[in-house]
Amino acid sequence: MEFKQVVGNRRTIRFFDPNRPVEPEKIQVMLEAANRASRAVNADFAKAIVCYRDELTDEVREALKTPTTTVQIDLAPVTIFWYGDTTFTNGAQDRLKELVDLGALPVTHGWTHPYVDDLVYPQVLEPLSKDALATTWAVSVETGLAIAQAMLAGVDEGLGVGLHAFNAAGAKEVLKVPDTWVPMWILLVGYPAEDAKGGGQRPRRPLSESYYRGQYGSPWTEIPEVTERLKREGMIQEPMPADSTERMQEIKRLADRFGLPS
Amino acid sequence: MTSPGIESQASVKQWAAGAGFDHDPAEVREGKLRILADFCTKVDKQPDELVAFCILRKKATGERFLSVKRREAINGWLDEFAGEQGWTGKQAVVNANVVRSFLIHNGVLIQGSVWRG
Repeated sequence: MEFKQVVGNRRTIRFFDPNRPVEPEKIQVMLEAANRASRAVNADFAKAIVCYRDELTDEVREALKTPTTTVQIDLAPVTIFWYGDTTFTNGAQDRLKELVDLGALPVTHGWTHPYVDDLVYPQVLEPLSKDALATTWAVSVETGLAIAQAMLAGVDEGLGVGLHAFNAAGAKEVLKVPDTWVPMWILLVGYPAEDAKGGGQRPRRPLSESYYRGQYGSPWTEIPEVTERLKREGMIQEPMPADSTERMQEIKRLADRFGLPS
Repeated sequence: MTSPGIESQASVKQWAAGAGFDHDPAEVREGKLRILADFCTKVDKQPDELVAFCILRKKATGERFLSVKRREAINGWLDEFAGEQGWTGKQAVVNANVVRSFLIHNGVLIQGSVWRG
């Protein structure tokens, strides 16, 4: 699938086909996409635990649930638990110097071993590692980048995806994650039981409401030709119609199928 | 508690309006009300009290919040209730979710069983 089509097709899927297995090969594609994400200091911020619903014991599955997450965990064949690793500064000096040696961090931009050893590590990374707020910020941003790539790779593989909060305390106990991992999101994965387009793209505000040129207050001006091209290429798709009758009927059918409240 | 007896409760009216009971056949509507009434009898709470049970206030600020523990309690009672009623399979899922539907339409986000058969 073309990149713009993948971005345009992504929806938060909430109804998965619970009985259609997800191929491990496709999960590996998602993990590799995450592994290829941009990351500061070439660190492995993102950590993930892939759980196949039917491989979990009833006890473990129950421990992962809360009164707000049971439906999605029961419907999705795969749940990927994403964490951010707060020990990302460990080994950062060596990784940066490796990038210097490889020419990824070029001398033209000021990068040398002494710069890493004498300035970047002691004056930036080490203090950062001792600042809980800054660490959480860095880990959250960097892990988010990896999660986004995994999610889009899943869409590219024809899967449905959805990010949700999770019962971090229950998960920590059963997944046995280290204390240094900060819980981020769960990414539910499966084949959609609902229309994969979810009835249309979710409402979005125009670019001018969030994006600026030069300074805040000077909104980005859309180039109409580009907007039209993105419509043709699938990044911008038909929004969910104001008349939601059809979508509501679909939800009713899904509720009847899965015995859900409506 | 009989099902006609609960219909006057504000929470039941809100449920009926939100879930569109008016479009249901009479026996379907009555069946749902009966399930809720029987559950309320089991837990010895009126429908309005059941909703209030799920919502607590923070001691410091008075701010309302949905209690996870209370919703877990409801889910536990619903499991017991389904067993006592002799419901199995999809019927157990659907009927327990009738009570959850009542709570959901009263602002209580609660999830439970899913039928995957």
